[in-house]
Amino acid sequence: MTTFQQTVEGEVLTEPVVVEREFETVDMNINIGPQHPATHGVFRMVLTVDGEMVKDAVPYIGYMHRGGEKLSENLDYRGALGYQDRTDYLAAFNSEWVYCNAVERLAGIEIPERAEYIRLILSELNRILSHFMFMGAFGTDVGYFGTAFTWTFKERERIQDLFEAVCGDRIMYNYFRVGGLAWEPHESFVEDANWVLDQVEVGIADVDNLMTDNEVFVARCRDVGTMSAEEAISYGVTGPMLRASGVSFDLRVDEPYSIYDRFYWEIPIGERGDVYDRYLVRLEEMRQSVSIVRQALDQMPSSGPIVAERLPARLRPEPGEIYMRQENPRGEYGIYMVADGTDKPWRVKMRSPCFHNLSSLRPQVINSYLADAVVALGSIDIVLCEVDR
Amino acid sequence: MTTTSDEITTALEPPPGSIADTYRLAMPLIRFDAALTKGDDVALTVAPEFVHEVLERGRDDARLGMNLLRNLTAVDWIERGLELVYHLYSIEHRHAVAIKCWLPGEGGAVSSATDLFATADWAERECREMFGIEFLGHPDPRNLLLDEDLDIHPLRKSHPLAPIEIEQGVDVEYFTKQFPPEEPVRPQEKAADEADAAAARPERKPDAELTDEEREAKRAEQAERVRLARELAAARRAERAAGAPPAGGPRPEGAPPPPAPAAAASSAAAPEAASAPAAAPPSDDRPPAPPPPELPTIPDAEEDPEGRAAAQSERVRIGRELAAARRAQLRGE
Repeated sequence: MTTFQQTVEGEVLTEPVVVEREFETVDMNINIGPQHPATHGVFRMVLTVDGEMVKDAVPYIGYMHRGGEKLSENLDYRGALGYQDRTDYLAAFNSEWVYCNAVERLAGIEIPERAEYIRLILSELNRILSHFMFMGAFGTDVGYFGTAFTWTFKERERIQDLFEAVCGDRIMYNYFRVGGLAWEPHESFVEDANWVLDQVEVGIADVDNLMTDNEVFVARCRDVGTMSAEEAISYGVTGPMLRASGVSFDLRVDEPYSIYDRFYWEIPIGERGDVYDRYLVRLEEMRQSVSIVRQALDQMPSSGPIVAERLPARLRPEPGEIYMRQENPRGEYGIYMVADGTDKPWRVKMRSPCFHNLSSLRPQVINSYLADAVVALGSIDIVLCEVDR
Repeated sequence: MTTTSDEITTALEPPPGSIADTYRLAMPLIRFDAALTKGDDVALTVAPEFVHEVLERGRDDARLGMNLLRNLTAVDWIERGLELVYHLYSIEHRHAVAIKCWLPGEGGAVSSATDLFATADWAERECREMFGIEFLGHPDPRNLLLDEDLDIHPLRKSHPLAPIEIEQGVDVEYFTKQFPPEEPVRPQEKAADEADAAAARPERKPDAELTDEEREAKRAEQAERVRLARELAAARRAERAAGAPPAGGPRPEGAPPPPAPAAAASSAAAPEAASAPAAAPPSDDRPPAPPPPELPTIPDAEEDPEGRAAAQSERVRIGRELAAARRAQLRGE
């Protein structure tokens, strides 16, 4: 329905004459993806649009489904570890850590303190790296083509160089092992990490200066893709997205694992639950991660074993089950593992945060502009390899 | 597999005052079988017809407040059926629980939880396609991760890993008609070859079944092999020490000598095939290349930058001239 306001010439009207006319509009389907730069991977959605307004959105996933759970069930406990790098490839250390922790708790393996610290430092650095990637890609979504991407990649590169020095790989690290670490990090690891943190802090400030107060950026992000706390919880949303909706839920604090109880940091919480809050929460999380890593580097024992004593050559945990969950950059990453007493897990389920976060896309984009749908999708920070597994 | 989940569910009892007691207090008419998992979570097993009620009242009860469905999956225990698992968490009270129920192995059905948790939509779709569990009342029970028209349940234990994965999405009957399996080119000869190979291969028994004489004979044979191998190795070492080329064996009489290093590039790939015709020195009628001329040495950049640039351009000039001359020579000019 369109409303027109008409004035009649030559007459001064006390009230405007309102003529209502019904125009027949036709809904149109727009297919986005699976190969599209705005979908951050092989993700497809079919949007029903009326003019510029999105009326419905039907997402399609599964293009990257590789049956990782089935494969993990057919490998022994150590063999499936490398597969974790291939789920969330932007936060591979975090995913490896969850898997290792799940197996270790099933088998009752205690890992040495130094290995615990190194795992935590690398995972928190990986969180910073992943959020830098988000800043770059999201900046591209809202129109900072180039600048945001190159600036954040410069910082991401520094962290990746450190990771490469530690484990020899830039993305698929495969450095954690059940019971500890693959090998000792290089000699200057602590100095290098401190240097990287100094650089990264400047980089975070750069991103802050570039994006946070920019008028165009705020206009594109404020009140877009808004989700209330109840809605977010109902959709199983976790991680920065849930915290942006005002819910203080961080597994590092609420269900503490590893040695997170030894550090002090703050959990950023959003107010409105829109795209801009998600950006702010992630930005602040990077600063808090820098603080955690600094504390961990100070506390870390300078020498000591990095592999658990008396590791069995063949892992045969007693029958039992565990749902191990940890706070990944994108939310709660869980491994539900059932042991049956043999050397292979009977069941491995990967609880992917992106899977649940992405399912909340539909209510976010309905009754929004088509251009905002892309921004809302970008703010979820999806990794399709993790969604499809 | 010999293990059943009986051992798991009865192995550990949750301590008093745990979330299991809260559930029993809130829903006194429902029977809960409680167990403690390795991750110190409480797992409650209920009858499948009560699952929806347990989820709904657990979400709405002020003492429980289980409002986050964090995970939904199933486990295929072949002979005992399928075990459906809901992992719940309370944002308000910060406690977790797992609700489980048993379904028959061929599938079975439970009420959908999509009216309670919006995230159950995708989770149930995935569970349905992967295990063949029906969720009654699901608004959109299509495949999620698998191909839309594929009706397989890959995470069941009865689903084999390799063969169907290769064939999935392909109509096997049509596929075999289009691409019939390759037949051996010469079936009779192949069969004869196989028979010969089988005859040549002595029948092997496992060590445990051997008689004493056979074991002795086998040991002697192995010792003889080791002795021969040692002799051969010693001979090779002696040959190498004497400066002879490390060839694979004595070279037959009349074979061409090993190619010179300059011409070896083309034939060095197969050193053991020295007697094969392919390894003969190239007998083309092209004229031999002239010997390379003396090239000016390039001085260090810091010591003599101008001389360095001059020497480099001189080298380039000589190289171009040589190439032009060689081209002309090959063209026969």
